[in-house]
Amino acid sequence: MIYKAILNGCSTNIVAQAEELNGFIGEHLCSEETTGSTILFYSEKEKKDALLRLVPTESVVLVRITRHQSEIILEALKAVEQREMTHLYLFPSGFTGSEMAVRLAFRMNGSSLVQVKQIECSDQHLLAKKTVYANHVLGTFKLMKKPYCISLAKGSAVSQPIAKPDKLIVTEVDMTHLPEDPFIKESTSIPRKPATDLAKAKFLLIGGNGMKNKANTYRLKQIAETIGADFGVSRPVAMSAWAPMHRLIGISGAMARADVCIVAGVSGAAAFYAGIEKSKFIVAINTDAQAPIIKTADIAIIDDYQAVMDELIKIMTI
Amino acid sequence: MNILVCFKAVPDLDKLIDEDWVIDEELQIDTGFLKPILNSYDEGALEIALALSDASESVGVSVELGALTIAGTRATPILKTLNALRFKRVVRIHSHDDFRFRPMAIASILTQYVLRHAPQEVLLLGRQTSIGENERTHLLLAEMLGWPCITQVTGIEPVDMNHLMVTSQADDGQLQQRIQTPCVLSIGDAPNTYLRVPTLIDRMRYGKRPIEILSSMDFHLADETEALMDLEVLIHERPGILIEGQTPEQKARELYEVHLKERLEKR
Repeated sequence: MIYKAILNGCSTNIVAQAEELNGFIGEHLCSEETTGSTILFYSEKEKKDALLRLVPTESVVLVRITRHQSEIILEALKAVEQREMTHLYLFPSGFTGSEMAVRLAFRMNGSSLVQVKQIECSDQHLLAKKTVYANHVLGTFKLMKKPYCISLAKGSAVSQPIAKPDKLIVTEVDMTHLPEDPFIKESTSIPRKPATDLAKAKFLLIGGNGMKNKANTYRLKQIAETIGADFGVSRPVAMSAWAPMHRLIGISGAMARADVCIVAGVSGAAAFYAGIEKSKFIVAINTDAQAPIIKTADIAIIDDYQAVMDELIKIMTI
Repeated sequence: MNILVCFKAVPDLDKLIDEDWVIDEELQIDTGFLKPILNSYDEGALEIALALSDASESVGVSVELGALTIAGTRATPILKTLNALRFKRVVRIHSHDDFRFRPMAIASILTQYVLRHAPQEVLLLGRQTSIGENERTHLLLAEMLGWPCITQVTGIEPVDMNHLMVTSQADDGQLQQRIQTPCVLSIGDAPNTYLRVPTLIDRMRYGKRPIEILSSMDFHLADETEALMDLEVLIHERPGILIEGQTPEQKARELYEVHLKERLEKR
């Protein structure tokens, strides 16, 4: 099995991409039958040396482009890979990785799957597992046509820092001549606010639909700040715009691994639970004893979350 | 500007209890007893299309909205609602096939519909359905048509007859792009996009307009390059120990003293 890890060095989340792929490669692609290398896209020359320290394999093709646009990446990959016999292209989790995996597979006459959690390689096909049915069910799929192009599911691998390699074979390719996508006439990028990375929070307080409105959401956020917790919300809360999207916990948002996670007024749909299931200790506060979150918490309180939190804040701030 | 929203009605999986999650020999889960609801991302796509149509009047852009689903007759109530919401063209491509994990087949039907039946400038789709979680149909459709695609769209504004301003989420922030049609736009987590409710008058006046019905037999279905091999129900369980107490104060105190204090001090 020959694989290529694809990294987007134009993105500010390049370290997370590299460490995630490094973790996945360590878990699934480190047998003697596999060989891998990295294709790393970048645009700013001055960042090149720093990016080379983020390569999870022993060799890398460093591809310089004007900017990270879908058509530029796909054209560059086609050019760089035209004489290669790559079996598997591995993209990090996230929107870009999933888009590239599907489009590259289509253009290379291969097969694709996105949000993959695990893989098993064989000569004839690739078996890949991913969640379906809103995270209630794990599906196993057989990818039948090479090259296999997959993107990872968030949290599918424990991120591993990149160790300094004994040697790194670097090939440089200049693709700055590739034209920008003509259908985009004007583009403005608004970087994400430097909000707390909820995936790294140690103490998390999460509010759900039980908060009922924006004012209560704001109130719970203030309680979180007072007791030293980071504040997250479930999808219905973010979709009602009671809290910004970067506070979302669950498959569409952050996948938390908190030491302590208090979940207030959240019913606990499986897609939400995926975002907290790796937390060490989960406390659920809900008026409904039958809510799914009760069975998936370590400790549960059946009561109005607001009344309990009001008391908890008194106890914790004495 | 012709805009077509492709949507799917799905079972409300939150209504299933643990005992309902049974996988049969055909790798099916019986959800037939659940009332179909709009797939949440598709609901966002439909509302965004209506808002775009509303906004187009003020900038002198003429928008004609269509809505299409590939389904059996169970989708009819939703189609009637879309009629009442004044979608000009409401289409059901009749099929009882199992399309849960067949994004290539769906994309190929949609491609042929656009090329043969009703030319479009903009195609809107939700990013994925709750059952298949394929997250590929919009991209395959764009590839088959040779159109560009923007994913994770959260807002669309009209510019002129050939251009739109599209806001979308990216991995490291937000993008705002002025783009040229034709294009495929895939709707992501777009806040405040619950589908509006038609007025009773519109329901009576427009709800019973005919639904255009085609058959999936008249379309060529592209083969998948992936096959479903197995399904396994995921069991998420923790002790769920209840803290007993007469008052919120008693419960909060036990929670803190017994379960939180030491854990939080260790951080």
